Amino acid sequence: MLKKSLALGIVAGILAGIASLIYSKVYHSSNGADFSKVARTTGILAGSLFGTLLAGLGYYAIIRALKGKGEIVFNLLFAILSFASIVGPIGFKLPLDMEAPELFPGLTIPMHFFPLVAWHTLKPLFFKKTAKA
Amino acid sequence: MRSKITAPLVAALILLAGSAFTFIAAQNWNIADGYSVGFTSDDASGIFKGLKGTVAFDEQNPGASKFDVTVDVASINTGNGLQNKHARSDEWFDAAKYPVIHFSSRQVVKAGNAYEVTGDLDIHGVKKQVVIPFNFQKAAAGGVFTGKFTVNRNDYNLGKPGGDVGEVIKIDLSVPVSK
Repeated sequence: MLKKSLALGIVAGILAGIASLIYSKVYHSSNGADFSKVARTTGILAGSLFGTLLAGLGYYAIIRALKGKGEIVFNLLFAILSFASIVGPIGFKLPLDMEAPELFPGLTIPMHFFPLVAWHTLKPLFFKKTAKA
Repeated sequence: MRSKITAPLVAALILLAGSAFTFIAAQNWNIADGYSVGFTSDDASGIFKGLKGTVAFDEQNPGASKFDVTVDVASINTGNGLQNKHARSDEWFDAAKYPVIHFSSRQVVKAGNAYEVTGDLDIHGVKKQVVIPFNFQKAAAGGVFTGKFTVNRNDYNLGKPGGDVGEVIKIDLSVPVSK
């Protein structure tokens, strides 16, 4: 189960990273705001992978520990942590030569939810039934 | 006889007018791109843009110099969108009511190897006299003014006294100019 969890984490991370990069392009072309110096491609991909790999480990640990209630606890925890992580981009201080920092949260906050979305989108491919350990 | 008196008189008047002009006028400089009007304090730092105005300065004759400049309050950039919005609000700079920060010099004097300008600094509807020490580094086609000074934000009713943001704000200026 650990292997499956980690595999889901990796694939979901790649999907979330690709979605974030596409969103970044769309955001840049629609608003003209360029934050590529701060939100770099490698950083976006690494951040997405880190989030979903952590979710993979967490999923394995929670399902093992809580058995039947593990699924709901994991889902709640993943959603709460994703939501809490938006504090980062809201409080982030950009270099002063970057204009329109007001637009930065609009770029990065949705990206903080892409790992959650990718995880739940791909999970049925890795776990046919709700895991009960 | 008449022309003998008139000619030297006219020449003397021209000379006098010429010397008076050299004495009074200072070189007018244009503010170039790449200027920086920065501020730092505990918990907040940033820059202002939209610097414009008149810069007349003569190294040989600082007394004839004159600075009359403004910066655009709404251009404040702290690097954080929420902080920018807060800074523009009526609790701080009230950019809607007081759209510019204005400095107008009264006197420029040489102070050692540098200079000092005394003038009125108008922020948030409050005008206070300040003294700004500055340097002028002359270059081939222009020069750069640099200066540092501090203001107490309570003097200008910016924010509430105390709080996280320090009351003494350090201002850093670097203004390249061209002829």
